[in-house]
Amino acid sequence: MSYAVLACNGVDKAEGALAREVGLQVADATGGDVVCPVLLNRAPARYEKTLARDALIVVDGCGTRCASKLAAGVGVKPKQKVLVSGLVKASGEELEASLRLGPDEMALAKSIVADIVAALGASGTQAAPAVAWDAPTDFFVVVFDKFEFRIPKQGYRFSENDTWVRAMGNRARVGISDYLQQQLTDILYFDPPELGTLVEQFGELGEVESSKAIFEIIAPVSGAVVAVNEAVVEASPELVNADPYGEGWLVEVELSAWAEESELLLDGPAYRDTVGPKAAEY
Amino acid sequence: MESEADKSPVLVIPCSGIGKVQGLLSREATYLVTDELAPGETDTLCLALLVKGDADAVAKVQMHKCVTIDGCGKACARKNVEMAGGRVSKAVQVAAVLKNYRGTQPGTGAILTVDGWPVAREIAETVAADAACLRAGGEVAP
Repeated sequence: MSYAVLACNGVDKAEGALAREVGLQVADATGGDVVCPVLLNRAPARYEKTLARDALIVVDGCGTRCASKLAAGVGVKPKQKVLVSGLVKASGEELEASLRLGPDEMALAKSIVADIVAALGASGTQAAPAVAWDAPTDFFVVVFDKFEFRIPKQGYRFSENDTWVRAMGNRARVGISDYLQQQLTDILYFDPPELGTLVEQFGELGEVESSKAIFEIIAPVSGAVVAVNEAVVEASPELVNADPYGEGWLVEVELSAWAEESELLLDGPAYRDTVGPKAAEY
Repeated sequence: MESEADKSPVLVIPCSGIGKVQGLLSREATYLVTDELAPGETDTLCLALLVKGDADAVAKVQMHKCVTIDGCGKACARKNVEMAGGRVSKAVQVAAVLKNYRGTQPGTGAILTVDGWPVAREIAETVAADAACLRAGGEVAP
């Protein structure tokens, strides 16, 4: 597969300078073409052939995500999106204020590039789950009106966006909660992220479409997508309704910062306490 | 006496070209101006942010005198600043400056060579001088 790299090339922030360096190094490592963000906006025809032929890797420096927005503006869906500021934060490093990269920043760039290239290597290969994911058996049950919402008592963590994550070693499965699947009603499609996508905590992790709504899956953790639930994608999206914590899982990720990120999530009892009020507000 | 407007930093805006040496020259020349030759008197702005219509970036180019440094004749920096309602007091084109350095190898999109840095410095010195003139209330040749 051939690649093109669109980096934000931010000029006035250290994250932008790092994004530029990462973009250039990724292009070098993959033999990919570099796409100039401003020229893409001004003269998209210049990159028509490149973007039709190559898988696009987008590297944003800061949360403004100019590169991602510019890609969306020309209707290109990136194969992989990277937010450098998030990766810097996850690394525990702090960037110097200078816009010229020092040895520490160059080392960080190299490390980020290695992760991106490794994730690209993982793409296209549907990794068989290496972990035995036994289904939960012990649930809290929140009753509201005629509804009953189940929440596993142990082993699962939840985001406030009603997604769950279950970690086993450095892998984790992600899905949506029983409460959310009932709110959405019949799930019709799951549009998964590409394998190899690097996702950040609280970033986008595909979409589910139900007979009622399209819902963006918010990633409860960051990491590289190493598997998607093909059964849900290809044949049986209703598994999400029937068994949201088991056979209806959506995505498997290789965790990158579980220790820190799990602290930002709710455990079973804490999530249980949010479900009743949510249902009442709904 | 200088007016209040004259005391505000002149914005030096490189083209954001990436992957080509002309773009890198515009970027490095900008940093030479803002970091070394005229810190405090000049400032820079991310062109991609302006292109996306960021309100602060648009306000900034409308409030300050702007010098754009474009890598090539497409003039993305100048055109986008103008489209945002900014006034370009000076528009530099790296490709034009490079004509004076024929036969040299200024570098690549990733790194400047010993031949490339003098080009960046020449551009930077011109821009710093222009910025000083603009802050003093003078005019510069566009």
